[in-house]
Amino acid sequence: MAFIKLNDLEIEVEDGTNIVEAAREHDIEVPHYCYHPGLSRPANCRMCLVEPYGPIPGAPPGTIGPARQLATGCTLTVRSAPPERKLEEKFDAIIRTDSDRVIKAREDILEFLLVHHPLDCPVCDQAGECDLQDFSYRHGHDKSRYLEVKNVPPKKDLGPDVLLYSTRCIVCTRCIRFCDEVSGSGELGLINRGSHDEIDIPRSHEGTPIQLLDNKLAGNVVDICPVGALISKDFLFKSRPWFMEKANSICTGCSVGCNVTVEYKTDGLYRIKPRFHGDINQHWMCDDGRLGYHYVNSDDRLQLPQKRVEEELVTTQWADALTLISDNLSEVEADDIVVIGSAQGTNEDNYVLQQFAHDVLKTTQLGLFGQVPGEEHKFPQFTIEADKNPNTAGARTILGSANGNVVLEDDALWEKVAGAKVVYLVSGCPERPLKDTEKDALEKVEFLIVQDVLPSEVTQLADVVLPGTTFAEKDGTFTNSSGWVQRIRKAIDPPGEAQADWEITQQLAKRLGGEIDYHFAGEIAIAIAENVEGYGDATHQNIGDAGIKLT
Amino acid sequence: MVQEKRILYEHLDVPNINTFDVFRQHDGYTRFEKAIAEYQPEEIADMVKEAGLKGRGGAGFSTGEKWSFVPRDIEPRYLCCNADESEPGTFSNRYVLEKNPHLLIEGILICCYAMGIETTYIYIRGEFTLGKKMLDAAIKEAYEQGYLGENVRDTGLNINIYSHPGAGAYICGEETGLIESLEGKRGQPRNKPPFPAVQGVFMKPTVVQNVETLCNLPFIVGNGVEWYTQMGPTYGDARFDPPKADPNTGTKLYCISGDVNEPGVYELELGLTCTELIEVAGGLRGEEVKAVIPGGSSAPILTQYELDTRLDFTSLTLAKSMLGSGGIIVMNETRNIVDCLLNIMKFYAHESCGQCTPCRWGTPWVRDIVQRIADGEGRQTTITRPKFGITESGRWGDTGETEEIYEDLDLLENVANNIANVDTMTWNTICVFGIAVSWPAVSYMRKFRPEFEAAIRESKLVTLPVAEATVPPEENYAYQQRIIPKEMVDLE
Amino acid sequence: MSEEIIQIETPFQFSEENKREFDELIGRYPVKEAAMLPTLHLAQRQEGYITPAVMKYVAELLELSVMKVKDVVTFYPMFFEEPVGKYVIRICHTLPCALRDCKVVLDHLKEKLGTDVASETNLAKGTTDDGKFTLMKVECLASCDVAPVIMVNDDLYKNLTPEKVDEILEQLPN
Repeated sequence: MAFIKLNDLEIEVEDGTNIVEAAREHDIEVPHYCYHPGLSRPANCRMCLVEPYGPIPGAPPGTIGPARQLATGCTLTVRSAPPERKLEEKFDAIIRTDSDRVIKAREDILEFLLVHHPLDCPVCDQAGECDLQDFSYRHGHDKSRYLEVKNVPPKKDLGPDVLLYSTRCIVCTRCIRFCDEVSGSGELGLINRGSHDEIDIPRSHEGTPIQLLDNKLAGNVVDICPVGALISKDFLFKSRPWFMEKANSICTGCSVGCNVTVEYKTDGLYRIKPRFHGDINQHWMCDDGRLGYHYVNSDDRLQLPQKRVEEELVTTQWADALTLISDNLSEVEADDIVVIGSAQGTNEDNYVLQQFAHDVLKTTQLGLFGQVPGEEHKFPQFTIEADKNPNTAGARTILGSANGNVVLEDDALWEKVAGAKVVYLVSGCPERPLKDTEKDALEKVEFLIVQDVLPSEVTQLADVVLPGTTFAEKDGTFTNSSGWVQRIRKAIDPPGEAQADWEITQQLAKRLGGEIDYHFAGEIAIAIAENVEGYGDATHQNIGDAGIKLT
Repeated sequence: MVQEKRILYEHLDVPNINTFDVFRQHDGYTRFEKAIAEYQPEEIADMVKEAGLKGRGGAGFSTGEKWSFVPRDIEPRYLCCNADESEPGTFSNRYVLEKNPHLLIEGILICCYAMGIETTYIYIRGEFTLGKKMLDAAIKEAYEQGYLGENVRDTGLNINIYSHPGAGAYICGEETGLIESLEGKRGQPRNKPPFPAVQGVFMKPTVVQNVETLCNLPFIVGNGVEWYTQMGPTYGDARFDPPKADPNTGTKLYCISGDVNEPGVYELELGLTCTELIEVAGGLRGEEVKAVIPGGSSAPILTQYELDTRLDFTSLTLAKSMLGSGGIIVMNETRNIVDCLLNIMKFYAHESCGQCTPCRWGTPWVRDIVQRIADGEGRQTTITRPKFGITESGRWGDTGETEEIYEDLDLLENVANNIANVDTMTWNTICVFGIAVSWPAVSYMRKFRPEFEAAIRESKLVTLPVAEATVPPEENYAYQQRIIPKEMVDLE
Repeated sequence: MSEEIIQIETPFQFSEENKREFDELIGRYPVKEAAMLPTLHLAQRQEGYITPAVMKYVAELLELSVMKVKDVVTFYPMFFEEPVGKYVIRICHTLPCALRDCKVVLDHLKEKLGTDVASETNLAKGTTDDGKFTLMKVECLASCDVAPVIMVNDDLYKNLTPEKVDEILEQLPN
């Protein structure tokens, strides 16, 4: 640990911490643009200049004063110094971030940054979450002394989801470094020199792209752009940031379990952004996850239960659907029933489901359903996993947690389904194509109950369809492939009369005389903590925003 | 008159000195052989330190000291020879490369021996096509003669030299810009620390030396430290008690161009005055010296009152300018300083690498301001501010005094100083390009302010007579602050 | 939707001689990327200018993304992205040459060739209609003692006057 004096604070920081981070830990703002904790540090924006103190050359020993040159806070790291090099006999470093020189330097740098900036905040998507805007208010001049014509580099289409408004760019090169270091794909670079520097993808001299910014992590460059230069086409002109509410959640695109923030208004989700988690996704997420939320807002979402009447699925009321199900279930032997949970569902959904199967239906025949596996993508600092479900590990453990429960998957499951009379299948997968074996098996079932969020090939085969909810509409937890249990939070209300999956299961259980009676997801998590091995600490309160790792 | 002292350039005009045989006849490679036979590597490094050799590329940093920063326990170490001679007004390396490339190779061999280096890259300007051709031929000969390659002259040393062409970027003359460029990237200078001596090319310890610096090594080894230190003044650094020796030893390849009768490279002992150098170069072309740029276009300009300044590292630094690369540009009475500054600012705006904020957007801004003044569109405001005193009518009131404000001159100075402050010598940029921009901008403007004011007032470029154009010594910030260094002999 | 990417019809490849030179070059450096500038010089000598095909080829040779090559090509003014004349005339216009009337030489060249001065992003502007010459301004050529100077391809011409320029242009083979 290093003991440093930062302004008037005397603080301890880890060896190797840079000044921007050390200050941030103590709520001191050191404004910066090019520095990003997940990337290398070129110190090119020069905004984070701070004033280090040290011995003054030529002065009597022990005299210390400000260094001649300011230093960039992002590259200035502190570490424990040997006793003879301590300053004022106890500090490993003395740094000021608030001296007149530092304040003037910031003003000067900001003035340069704004020389060519169009100041088009009123039409800029970034307004409201723009570092340039914020720091200009806090540290900048109030007027420009630049009289000449501003550079107006063109707006550029970089790839499937990314636009570059070059005029707003401050050439901090975060996006370039991201593509070099994290995605390793290197599509971005600078063109030209000096004040004509522009970010671009490789193009011919005439401007035709040679390669597009189309790697699966490309969307992150929009997040890390400190100004409104890189803009997501998906979010373009959709909303002002301050009009949106935010909920911390977990991405459902694959089993990595990237921490995300879901941004929403009452009419649906607007965007998903990654949230830092040091052990899972760092600062990043992939575009599949980022742009995969649109199904939540779909007009086709299942809003009411449906039942099959003369080959057609028609909407019906909850009471009717539940009656129909309980009638069918009560006449069937336990051995002829298969209950299938979903790897898209939360631990809570699956816990109530297995409780329903085990305690009410008295069946131990459970199955696990989920998205078809996709491809694994490995990047230098990120991996997209092949398992496209957020909760395979959790669902598997929890479905099998009660005595005697067997969780069938893949072929074994479909073999079992083919011989069953009633199947209660919780899907929750948007767009789930069925393989022939799966389809054949499901077609053979006499009475198929499907709980899902969108009409799909699965719901096509159902006798009753129950409208469930997506990750954005319920609380709960997911367990990722590396054993982290993390929380998702309800952002928006479910469409129509759709209900959280565990609530539906619980209602069914009550119809059949079961005694399952939870009031909110957190209560189920407590039950899980009590009953499922390894989940002893996994209450919502314990998990919080950081998640906990199963031991 | 001061006499030329040709050492590096002694055999420059010998026919075919570029070939191994002729070079050999003129003591070629004997100094390297002497180094190996008579000295340990560390002794060579010590000799260079004792000789007081200062880097000839621009910064004037002590070569021996630079070498002492190189960790000798990290392998491999590299030598990068900076032959990216691009500072306007400098052209001495070109002649070495074109005419006497073996001298450079010998210098490199000595450096490699002293520092235990096996690989040297000579970063040569892309435009030096002839120089590269001659250098490559010489390198080839040196390989054939066994002075390069595996087991050099049966000494067990392995030394390789490769020439590496640049492609037209001034900033690649900055040592870390050069290293980045050598690594195949944009020539964008690195943040320091770490310095190249510790983490240079391919992140290994690297010595970066200018051509001229390396060419000094054979003579230091060949003729000894004592011989070398007799040339040029050694001053006493008064910050220390007793004063520490501050050597400006050896000769310098002074490149003189502009308004002199015989422009060219003159090899002279360090420490002659500006006036003396002009005399050596055939005298002034014109009536009067208006201004002299003493160290390449980045150096602050000198006025006619400052021509007694000695052209060495210490004297020029104390005169608030620099010797830099030794490119002296002389301007006579017909020259317009605003126009000259505009030319230089265009150069810097074009050559800024664009990496860090102040330089990327500050340099073209400075150019734009100078352009505006040169175009006759400089801004000037007459400010009427109430000044209380006894008015004409004999009563206490506003006297109606006005003040002339040359807004654009203040802006020019302010913007330039925000890139790099010439008064405090502090800069917010990554490399010293920032100070290379603001030094000329601020010094020209301050020292020749009447000419700038005239351009604004008359809305066109006006070339004033020298005496009128120049700020008198008592108003010249540099003249007021300049210190005439005392030679060591005087102090003893 | 994003734009279409370019289709390269004829891929670029080094001639055998240049390939040999490249193979020698690449051995000089511990990392391949370092051979960038010499490789681009070699490619430009063969192709005349740096086309997208050249960039792709160089990127493959040096195991880099295409953008890393483009990045470097646009930084250094000696690399051209457009066709240039058979003779590229570089005229120095920095202070020492300016003090020796390089403007007279420049104006003479412009008039004589009937073309403007090329800019870095528009070389066609400075290229004569017959494709023989490209005229461009460059920064200091480090020959201030013999100013004003021009470079015609690889050759430097010194102490120029309009008359000397005429002589030089005349003796250039077609």
